Amino acid sequence: MKRILLTLLLVQNIFSELIIEITESSKNLIKVAVIQKQQATKIGDLVVGVIEQDLKRTGEFEVLSKDQMLSIPTKESEVIQRDWLLLEVDAIIFLDIDETRNNLDIKFLIYDVGYKDILDDGKVLGLPDSLRQTSHFVSDEIYKYFYGIEGVSATKLMYVTKNNNIHRLIISDSDGFNQQVILKSNQSIISPTWSSDAKDIAYVSFENNRAQVFLHNLATGKRESILATGSTVSSPAWSPDKGKIAFSSTMDGNSEIYLLDLRSKRINRLTDNKAIDTEPAWSPDGKKILFTSDRSGSPQIYEINPINLVKRRITTVGNYNARPSYINKQKIIFVHRGTESFQIAALDLRTRELEILTSTKNDESPCIAPNGNVIIYSTKAGELSYLAGVNISSGVKFKLPAIYSELKEPAWSPFLR
Amino acid sequence: MKNFLILIITVIFLYSCASTNVVEVENREATTVDITQNASSKRISNVGLDLGEPEIKIFFGYDEDTLSEDSLVNLLEISRVLKDNERYTLLVEGHADERGTREYNLALSERRAKAVEDFLVSAGIIPVRIEVVGYGEEQPTDVSSNENAWSKNRRAELFFVR
Repeated sequence: MKRILLTLLLVQNIFSELIIEITESSKNLIKVAVIQKQQATKIGDLVVGVIEQDLKRTGEFEVLSKDQMLSIPTKESEVIQRDWLLLEVDAIIFLDIDETRNNLDIKFLIYDVGYKDILDDGKVLGLPDSLRQTSHFVSDEIYKYFYGIEGVSATKLMYVTKNNNIHRLIISDSDGFNQQVILKSNQSIISPTWSSDAKDIAYVSFENNRAQVFLHNLATGKRESILATGSTVSSPAWSPDKGKIAFSSTMDGNSEIYLLDLRSKRINRLTDNKAIDTEPAWSPDGKKILFTSDRSGSPQIYEINPINLVKRRITTVGNYNARPSYINKQKIIFVHRGTESFQIAALDLRTRELEILTSTKNDESPCIAPNGNVIIYSTKAGELSYLAGVNISSGVKFKLPAIYSELKEPAWSPFLR
Repeated sequence: MKNFLILIITVIFLYSCASTNVVEVENREATTVDITQNASSKRISNVGLDLGEPEIKIFFGYDEDTLSEDSLVNLLEISRVLKDNERYTLLVEGHADERGTREYNLALSERRAKAVEDFLVSAGIIPVRIEVVGYGEEQPTDVSSNENAWSKNRRAELFFVR
């Protein structure tokens, strides 16, 4: 009975939730078929459906539907190679779904049609009430096998919606499904960010009519502001070890970057000049912090060592470069103003090569997925902002449309395992 | 207990079939916090009081906090009212247009409010009578995306607290 109820709920969700749409696919698609080894079951069909959708939503796979198949093998030895070569299928994904003993375990096997051989296999141990999440992990293993990059189907997105002056901080699956409202407020919420273990978040809330940074535990909903001051406190960034928060504040007169040690509660000031210093972002190893400063007369990106406070200027091209974050040690992304519009750009720190990644205008709040290969950002069509994304290696573009309300300030979760 | 069982299964599987990838799924739930009914409680200042329409608005150029000559004339008038009414204090709210990043605009909007404060202080008003706050691009007066709307949104709003 419970299972039927779950099925119904999931089916209903398909029609009511926001879903990622691919706006530009990769030029080289890998064509696969996803087949359940056993007799089809309701749960099995759902799992196959989720994995098929996940693979399609990467924009890098073409998935053969069941009615296009010329024959349906239940195991590798039954594959009639000719049938599949005719359909130009590269690989068949066999799923062995075990839904007994109150578990939902999915074994998968990647069978190469050309080589007539098993390429990879694996197993995901899940629970029936996390059917989508369990399936997402399978999709990510498949993605990783073919592209050599971690998949991000099993990660989460956080973003802010605005509708009738109600602001909601939302966490959903990375495909847009399964939205959970984390915070509902009459005032703006900006700059949401995850802790490295994805158990806590930080954000800026204007609920007390002034920007304040809050730390918020997702499981309990317990929240606290990091600083009781009459000044603006903003732009939180958790250190990779979760021990510190970098933030900006005007408590000493103008916007400077500070570091709060969460154990000792000690605050260190990192910048000291009359310009705006804001938008700190940690390097993956926690040894450097990027930030935006207009000390040169226009907003540009700088890097600082939080221990010895040695700084260097990073961006020199253009008169507006802001909201930086690291893709990895060598590459950063940020908002760049070109001739007319604001777009997301990447800069290679070694070669100094600047690359514009987006083709939309008014692009803001870029955020990199934990695999370092997918960027999500907010952009605007008319008066409504929505989320858009781009896959760096394949050029795939996608969007999460603003159907019910505005969407902005995306923040991609770390890996959830 | 369930987690413990799964862990055991995982470990056994890892040992029995070392070449196979095994992923264990953890279920995470989140709680919703609704603060829409909360009265803005922490009133540490005049910020957030319903002060009606602003006394005056001062407008700024793109990415600028420079006060125009017109606004200096208006601000001198404000300083005169403050001198004549010693119980009045002033709230200065800074705002930005939507272009550029939200956090940079927050800092920029506060710098605009601060420019107003600095001028009034130089005109003889003591700093404790002036409070500044930045709202960035969060409270536009015109939500359109054109120069006309942007020029209206790049502003400081001044309120007397009587």
